[in-house]
Amino acid sequence: MRPFTLNYARPRVLPAVVTPYRYDSSMQLNVLPDGRPAVSDRELLLAAGTTTSTAGSQTHFDD
Amino acid sequence: MTVLILTSEQDVTADMVVAELHLRSVPVMRLDPADVPGKAVLSADYAHGDFDGHLSVNGHVLSMGGLRSVWVRRPGEPAAHASDSSSWLTAETRQALYGMLYSAPTRWMNHPRNADQARYKPWQLRIAHLSGFAVPPTVITTAPRVAQQFAEEYRDVVVKSASGPPPGDPASALPTTLIGPGADFSTVAAGPALLQRYVPKSADIRLTCVGPRLFGARKRSAPGQVDGRYGDTGYAWGTTAVPDRIAKSVQEYLALSGLAYAAFDFAEDEDGLWWFLECNQAGQFGFVELETGQPIAEAVALWLAGRTGERRVPESRG
Repeated sequence: MRPFTLNYARPRVLPAVVTPYRYDSSMQLNVLPDGRPAVSDRELLLAAGTTTSTAGSQTHFDD
Repeated sequence: MTVLILTSEQDVTADMVVAELHLRSVPVMRLDPADVPGKAVLSADYAHGDFDGHLSVNGHVLSMGGLRSVWVRRPGEPAAHASDSSSWLTAETRQALYGMLYSAPTRWMNHPRNADQARYKPWQLRIAHLSGFAVPPTVITTAPRVAQQFAEEYRDVVVKSASGPPPGDPASALPTTLIGPGADFSTVAAGPALLQRYVPKSADIRLTCVGPRLFGARKRSAPGQVDGRYGDTGYAWGTTAVPDRIAKSVQEYLALSGLAYAAFDFAEDEDGLWWFLECNQAGQFGFVELETGQPIAEAVALWLAGRTGERRVPESRG
């Protein structure tokens, strides 16, 4: 029998965003192709959605 | 003295804090427990009545004697990246890593023991009661009759998951949802259902707490919107003042839970009253800072950089 709560599950739209940064182990943060820290481009972070309250929901339950 | 951040490499919200620590020349080590053993190496020795331990990753080295604070952000499962990963290896690695860290006198944001307890939503509701928050009537039950009676008493009722969407199914979401009339509650017997009286809201409130510092943010709700995390309403987060009564309850909640960091969610009703929904002990804050300009990452960095005591007994406070 399917638990009651799961009757209210719905498909999740998976973002098709490719994050244009990579981890720099020396600086210990993610950098853009031009070497700037990814956090210096706030518009990009907002567009990527990687800082939102549902960003960690699939692996952590601390939204 | 070094700040240790336990998180994944992909966590750009942690980047915001790392950048603030760099600005202040505070030494930092970023480590994902998933990389132990392998990319990251640990050793701890307990001999002659003394203790010391070391971590190294990507050329960065940290001695437990030089540990300033620990930020548990988005850590992977220990040994998850190991070539021969297994549940046993994860358990062994968790013992080695966290056992070593617990042996060191340091400050935690948040201590895993407090974090584990703080994740339980039913417990959150009780602590919220004791802290003086307004809490919508709620029931969690496996009894269909109890669920039916709750829905009949409060009429407009939402169902929400206590633990989040099913793991391993990234294509599934489980937003807080209004239960329509005529719902069949018989399947409540197949799994606990958390039902709560619906609060018609004018706005969502996100209150981020970093030690004693409070950052209030408000986003107007669309008519009939239930779960503010889903659906683009066109409204943005903006800064809002925190009522004194709420600030007092927050301090009480943090004291009772032992949390150094928390992100509270409230529903603001038409009278301006903030109803407690939940408290995320490691809730995201990047989206709030990016939209409001509130210096939350700086506050986290300053807390982590704070001086530790010289106590020999390991601290367990958050």
